[in-house]
Amino acid sequence: MRRRIQRTAISSLLLLWLVLTVLWAVSAAGYLSQTVAMVLGLLFAVVVAAAVPRFISEPLFRVAETAEKIAEGDLTKTIQIHESDEVGKLAQSFNQMAQRLRGTLSMVTQEKNRMQAILDSMADGVIAVDGETRVILINPVVEEAFGLNEEASLGKTVLEVVRDYELDRLFRQALDSGRPVQQELRILTPDPRLFRVHLTPLRGAQGGVVALFRDITERRQLEKMRTEFVANASHELRTPLTSIRGFIETLWDGALDDPETARRFLTIIDEETRRLNELVDDLLKLATIEERRNLFRRQPVELAEVVQRAVEIFETRARQKGLRFSVELPADLPPVAGDVNLLSQVFINLLDNAVKFTDKGEIGIRAWKEDGGVAVEVRDTGIGITPEHLSRIFERFFRADKSRTSELGGTGLGLAIVKHIVEGHGGEVRVTSRPGEGSAFTVLLSTGF
Amino acid sequence: MSNRRSFDVELADLKQDILRMASLVEQSIYKAMEALLNQDPLIAKGVITGDDAIDRLRYEVENNCIRLIATQQPMARDLRVIVTGIKILTNLERMGDHAVDIARAAMCVCGRMPTKPLERIPQMARMVQHMVKDGLDAYVHGDVEKARQMCAMDDEVDEIYNLTFQNLISYMEANPHSIPCVVYLLLVARYLERLADRATNIGEDVIYLVTGEWHELN
Repeated sequence: MRRRIQRTAISSLLLLWLVLTVLWAVSAAGYLSQTVAMVLGLLFAVVVAAAVPRFISEPLFRVAETAEKIAEGDLTKTIQIHESDEVGKLAQSFNQMAQRLRGTLSMVTQEKNRMQAILDSMADGVIAVDGETRVILINPVVEEAFGLNEEASLGKTVLEVVRDYELDRLFRQALDSGRPVQQELRILTPDPRLFRVHLTPLRGAQGGVVALFRDITERRQLEKMRTEFVANASHELRTPLTSIRGFIETLWDGALDDPETARRFLTIIDEETRRLNELVDDLLKLATIEERRNLFRRQPVELAEVVQRAVEIFETRARQKGLRFSVELPADLPPVAGDVNLLSQVFINLLDNAVKFTDKGEIGIRAWKEDGGVAVEVRDTGIGITPEHLSRIFERFFRADKSRTSELGGTGLGLAIVKHIVEGHGGEVRVTSRPGEGSAFTVLLSTGF
Repeated sequence: MSNRRSFDVELADLKQDILRMASLVEQSIYKAMEALLNQDPLIAKGVITGDDAIDRLRYEVENNCIRLIATQQPMARDLRVIVTGIKILTNLERMGDHAVDIARAAMCVCGRMPTKPLERIPQMARMVQHMVKDGLDAYVHGDVEKARQMCAMDDEVDEIYNLTFQNLISYMEANPHSIPCVVYLLLVARYLERLADRATNIGEDVIYLVTGEWHELN
C-alpha cells in the first residue's frame, strides 16, 4: 500500500519537475511570458493533485464502505476490485472474511434451530437463567404449566416469573455451589402440581443454571392408589381370616367336644370362607376385565332379557325386605354390542346394591333408546350417597359408610367391576343421588358393532 | 454515580424479597385450606409453625426499607417503591396470620366435621387464592388494569360470604349439636373474606405505585 502511494507520489513529482523544467526553458527562451508559464505550471499541479484520490482514496473508500455493511450484519456484499495491487488484495481478504462469516453464521443458525426443535418437543419443562437468576429461556411446556409467555418472561427473575420461594432458593443454591441440585417441589400454578426439578449450573464466564421440570403429579397419584389398593385388599382378606383362625383355635381348645358349639362355629367358619372366596373371585374378575379391556366379545345382546333375568335373581330378596320392583323395558330396544355374561354382571351388581341399601320403597328399572345406544337406569329409594362420596364410589374398596356396609356384607368391588365392564364396552355409567332419598345409576351402552 | 447504582440494586432486591414473602404466604393460604378440606391436623400444624419464617422475613425486609429511607432520602417514584413495599409487606404479614387462623380452625374441626355445611367455602377459597395471585402478578408487572380487575372480584367474594354466613346460621339452627364445629366454619368464611380485602389492599398499593394516585377500590 505504502509502496503504491510512494510510487504514485514519486512519479507525480518527477512529472511535475519535468513539466516545470520544460516550461522554464520555454519561457527563458522567450516563447512564453513568465506569468503564463507559472499559470500553466500551477494548472498542471492541480490536475496531478486531483488524480491522486482517483487511484488511491476511492478504492479505499469502497473497502471501508463494505466493511461497515459487514459490521452491520449484511454479509451478502462483496467488494468489486479486480486489481492485483495492495488495494485489490485488501478487497479480496475482505471478501474471504465475509464468506467465512456467512458459513459460520449459517452453522450457528442451524445449531440454534436444532436446539429450538429439541426444546419445543421436550416433554419436560425447561427454564434457563443467567448468573442473577434472570430468565434467558423457557420452553413451551413451562409456558403451558405455569401459564407464562416467553417474551414477557425474558429478563425477569425466576421469582417474578414462577413465584415460588423454594424454587428460587434452589436456583441460588445451584448458582452458589456450582453443583447440580434436584428436589421434589409442589408449585402452586395456582393449582398445585408436583414436579421433580433438576438444576444444572452452566459452565462459562457468565454462569447461569438450567432447570428441568418433570411433572410427577399423576404418577404420584397412581402410586398412592396402588398402595391404597394393596392395603385395602390385605385388610379385606385379613378380616375373615382372623375370624376363621380364632374359631379354629377355640375348636382345638375344647369346643370340639361340645357338638352344638362346634356346629355353630363351623357354620361361621363356612360363612367366612365363602366371603373370602367371593372376595378372591371379585378380585380375579376385576383383574381379568382390566387385562382384556379391549378384547371383549362384541355380540348382539338383548338388554331387556339380561335385565329381566337379573331382576328375577333379586325378586325373593326384595320381597323379603318388603321392596317393590317396577320394570319398564320397551319391547323395541335395539340390541347392544357386548359380552352377555359381563353385561349380566353389571346389572346383577347394580341391583344387588339397590336392594342392599334400600329399606323401604321401590326399585325402578327403566330402559330407553338413546342416540347410537341404549340407556338403562336403576333407581332406588335407599340411603343415597353424599356429594363428596359420589366421585369415589367407583373406586375399589371404597365404602361410603363403613359400619353399615360391613354389616351388609359385600366385597367393596361391585361398582368398580361395573365401571370397568361398562367402560371396556365403550360405554358410560353415571350416578346421581340425594342422601336420604335414593340413588340412580344410568348405564349407557353402544349399539354400534 | 456508584451510590445511585447500588441504590437501584437495593430497590430491585426489595422487590425480590417481597415476592419471596408473597410466595410463602400463598403457600400458607393453600395449605391452610388443604388442612381444612382434608381434615389433616399435620398440615395445619405446618402452617402454624411456618408463620414464624414469614414474620422474620417481614421484619428483616421492613428494616431494610427504613434504612433505605434514612440513608438515601428517596424521592418521587423511589419513595413510592419503598412506601408501597412496606404496605404490601404489612398486608402480606396479616394474610399469613389469617392463614394461621384458618389452620387453627381446621385443627378444631378435625375429625368431627359434618359433611354438608362446607357450603361454598372451597369455592370462596379458590376465588381468594386467585385474587392473591392476580394481585401479586399485577405487582410483578406493574399492571394497573389487572389490579383493578382483581379488586372487582372482591364484591363477588363478599356476596358468597354473606350467603355462606346465612346458610351456616340456618344449619346451626336446624342442627344445634353441630354448633361447636360449624362455628369454626363461620370463622373460616370470615377469614377468607378478610384475605380478599387484604388482596384488594395490595391491588390499591400497586395502582398507587404505578400511577402515584390513591384509589379506594374496596
